[in-house]
Amino acid sequence: MAAGTSSLIPRSYFSYRGHDYTVLALSLIGFAFSLLVYRIAANTVQFPQFVIDAFPFADWVNDAQKWMELNIKHITRAVSNGLKIPLEWLEETLWEMPWLVVLSVLLVPSLAYGGLRLGLGTLIGVLFWGMVDMWYSAMSTLSLMTVSVFISVVLGVGLGVLSSQSDRFESILRPILDTMQTMPAFVYLIPAIFFFGIGGPAAAMAIVIYALPPVVRLTNLGIRQVPATTVEAAQSYGSTRLQMLAKVKIPLAMPSIMLGINQTIMMALGLAVLAVFIGAGGLGEEVWKALRTLKVGWAFEGGICIVFMAIIFDRLSYAITGSAEGKVAHHGDGPQFHLLPQNWDENLLAIAIEKPIGFVWNSLGKAGMAITHLVAMIVPNNEAKLKILQRPFLVVGTIITVLIWLMADQVSWFNTFPRALEVSFREPIDVAIDWLTVNPTFIAITKFIRATIFLYLLEPLDLFLAGLPWWYVIAAIGLVVWASVSWKFALVTALFFFLVGAAGLWEILLFTLAGTTVSVIVCMLVGVPMGVAAAYFKPVDAIMRPILDAMQTLPAFVYLIPALFFFGGNKTTAVIATVIYSIPPVIRLTTLGLKQLPVEIDEVAGSFGSSTLQTLVKVKLPMASPSIMLGLNQSVVMALAMQAITPLVAGLGLGKEVYDAMNIANMGKGLAAGIGIVLLTIVLDRLTQGWTHNQRKALGL
Amino acid sequence: MTLKKTISTLAGVGVIALGTSFSAVAPASAGGLLKAPVADWTGGAVVCEIIHKILESEMDYKVKRITMPSGPAVNEGLRGGDLDFACETWPSYSTTKEKYVTEYGGDGSVEYIAPVGVVGVSFYYVPRYLVEGDGAKAPNLKTWENMNEYSDLFKTLESGDKGRLIGCPTAAWECEDTKRMELLGLNYAVTELGSEAAHWAEIQAAYKRKEPFIAYAWEPHWIHAALDLVRIDLPAHSDDKWPATGWPEDITYNYASPKLKEEHPKVVELIKNFNLTNEQQAPMILAIDVDGKSMDEVVDAWLAENEATWKSWLPSGS
Repeated sequence: MAAGTSSLIPRSYFSYRGHDYTVLALSLIGFAFSLLVYRIAANTVQFPQFVIDAFPFADWVNDAQKWMELNIKHITRAVSNGLKIPLEWLEETLWEMPWLVVLSVLLVPSLAYGGLRLGLGTLIGVLFWGMVDMWYSAMSTLSLMTVSVFISVVLGVGLGVLSSQSDRFESILRPILDTMQTMPAFVYLIPAIFFFGIGGPAAAMAIVIYALPPVVRLTNLGIRQVPATTVEAAQSYGSTRLQMLAKVKIPLAMPSIMLGINQTIMMALGLAVLAVFIGAGGLGEEVWKALRTLKVGWAFEGGICIVFMAIIFDRLSYAITGSAEGKVAHHGDGPQFHLLPQNWDENLLAIAIEKPIGFVWNSLGKAGMAITHLVAMIVPNNEAKLKILQRPFLVVGTIITVLIWLMADQVSWFNTFPRALEVSFREPIDVAIDWLTVNPTFIAITKFIRATIFLYLLEPLDLFLAGLPWWYVIAAIGLVVWASVSWKFALVTALFFFLVGAAGLWEILLFTLAGTTVSVIVCMLVGVPMGVAAAYFKPVDAIMRPILDAMQTLPAFVYLIPALFFFGGNKTTAVIATVIYSIPPVIRLTTLGLKQLPVEIDEVAGSFGSSTLQTLVKVKLPMASPSIMLGLNQSVVMALAMQAITPLVAGLGLGKEVYDAMNIANMGKGLAAGIGIVLLTIVLDRLTQGWTHNQRKALGL
Repeated sequence: MTLKKTISTLAGVGVIALGTSFSAVAPASAGGLLKAPVADWTGGAVVCEIIHKILESEMDYKVKRITMPSGPAVNEGLRGGDLDFACETWPSYSTTKEKYVTEYGGDGSVEYIAPVGVVGVSFYYVPRYLVEGDGAKAPNLKTWENMNEYSDLFKTLESGDKGRLIGCPTAAWECEDTKRMELLGLNYAVTELGSEAAHWAEIQAAYKRKEPFIAYAWEPHWIHAALDLVRIDLPAHSDDKWPATGWPEDITYNYASPKLKEEHPKVVELIKNFNLTNEQQAPMILAIDVDGKSMDEVVDAWLAENEATWKSWLPSGS
């Protein structure tokens, strides 16, 4: 990959003249002025109470909810009763299905589309569900995910196609999608119970709300990006609009749509744990039960089951999209099998491991081809014959699956997961965590981290922001947004902040802003060096990559309790948990940004006598800054998403408002704070996107 | 083209699935199917499991047990008719009781059936190593009146120059800890940990490190089997002085959807007759949370040993 990019790097990279200091100077002047305002006017101006009294937002929402309960419950119930049928059917089916059949149903496409590597991954993942005795929970989650993703894809592709056809529809849909994606689920989870009932249907609705946006966005994007020349060509043949869509645009947009589906799947799995809050069971139930009794090891097992499910679906959906025709190169005379890194080829141990697997794999491939040829011989139709020959894996896999299923009544270990294979990972995890909890050195380190973050970042920033007059804060943020994005968006931002204040949430909004800022600062301070390390040292990258993968799909619930054990229960710990959740994009994008730079840079800089460190700091990091800024942007959005979870471990701010409101079943209050989170996310997202954009412009990209 | 192939693969899977599902038809039970949430704390879950097992073994019902966090979600489920009954709610912590339960001034969309028999008491607690034995850092800490002498001991970074009191986990429980500190003139800042899990995690970690802490807790609870905690006395509860006093006793109760008494009067009768005391419940909690036995095993053993007790709860004519 890296070799090909050098020619794509614009020449301006080499004419880059270093930093633009005006922005820095202006920021410093602005900050100094704000400090002055703070000295003079600290804590003198409160957000005006009469505005708050005139804006009883929560009451309006609660009235609306009552009206809906009386008038639309029968509609929502009809929807959920309809949903119940496929959900219950699929769950029961998966529960009753012999485990080995489930395994082969997942394994066959993995092997067919992703080769042996993905096949082994799927095998390990599926075995893990059984090994930790969570087979049935995993099947429940699997059925909930399948139905929710199916609905999301049907709805999402439809909405995406519609919005690609109408700019107006797109502009109406966009803020709705933003809201769906960032609104904390706790806002609508409890009201959803009354409207959609306990369990599957309500959970599926909640998942669809959260997971729908990517597939809509990427369908829309994919269709809009179909090259104009292609469209013109089709028009010249006299295609109607509908024909054009169905025959030209949608097929060409397929890779983009599949990417959207992939992201939708990942987001749906992100809500798997939350489903327990409305009684939908599954792996979320395991994690929740474990946490209720502080069994961290048990919670980790449940969390890792979800991680495996996510990784299997992620890789499988990529593989299905990526393999051009769904057929795999013929085996037998295929290339040598590589499981381990290529540069280990000379290593004797690697050869000892790979050779036998490769042999078995190739022999199986030959046997499979023979069977496929046999099947093809039976089929009379020539076209069908060809199709069968192209898909040896699917043919053989289906035959094996059916055989297993037919034999399951006779062979008991086909039917239920053999107990002999069960392994407990809980105890070692619990032992390790117990050991760390009381280890004086480790606790001294955690105390130092917590003290540093609290004393030097969180507390000063919070006091500072909360002490400034509200109108000054609005004006200052407006100015920053104006400079970074546009005056229009600056006005919108000012209005946002004013409305959240009018809903009585001013101090809470500022604490959220302070907490988010601090977690993102820490993410940058820690994440950028880690990203650099991964870019320079291959082993670091190799170790970090799977950890980052796991961190992005491991439910945050799982590590909240250990974070509490180590850092204590306080608002700083909530910020630290936020850092853990939102650091992966910073690390990844720093590494990516550095690796994408042309190799010549090192040579050129070296010839000028610059040391590796100098090259990194003065040349490479500034050049990689657009990528790093994108990491910052994603980290901000994730930090705000984490707001929904941190109240469970003493986190303060808008998330806590949402959570407290949920606990007293006051939807209006929850929605007000939820909208606060949504608005803050939109503002910070646009702001950091603006920075990325400006940075790219400065680099001439 | 790829999509077409994916669909055909899925269709193949579907055919297999369809075939299997025909063999899976659950037998219906004579009494009917009841849906009940399982309380997410052990004490409550024990109460539920005893009731569920009696319903299943003696009254021909089948009970679908649903795991979900207690609180407003359960009330919404009962109100919407998706749940039939639920067990052992603690009036102090079922914060939405005023909204739903007539007995508490609510709209009656959820019905209070009868007390469980388990009575809860709430206090502030400190670990025993803090007040007793050699090197005890707060030997005189017995009641709220001594709390100010030791407030320095409980300071944390975030609590500033006050001591930190680990209060009720969520504001929704209306413990009024902060107000209590003010009214009693105690120099303590209250931390809400947000969830019960976090509350016990913090206490357990501090205990393991032998750090000083003072925290809200209640009995019966498994934490007292795991950690040796000592009560700090508060002024006796009185309604007019609240929250400058301790808590009232929690007469816990079982509750249900209002439809239950019309549709399944016998079930309501069983729940009314049901009675389990703290003393009966405590050993079961201990066996599950501390000895690591399974809920099933422990409840079965209790049912086997106390047949006379639970047989007397059965509704007349069954």
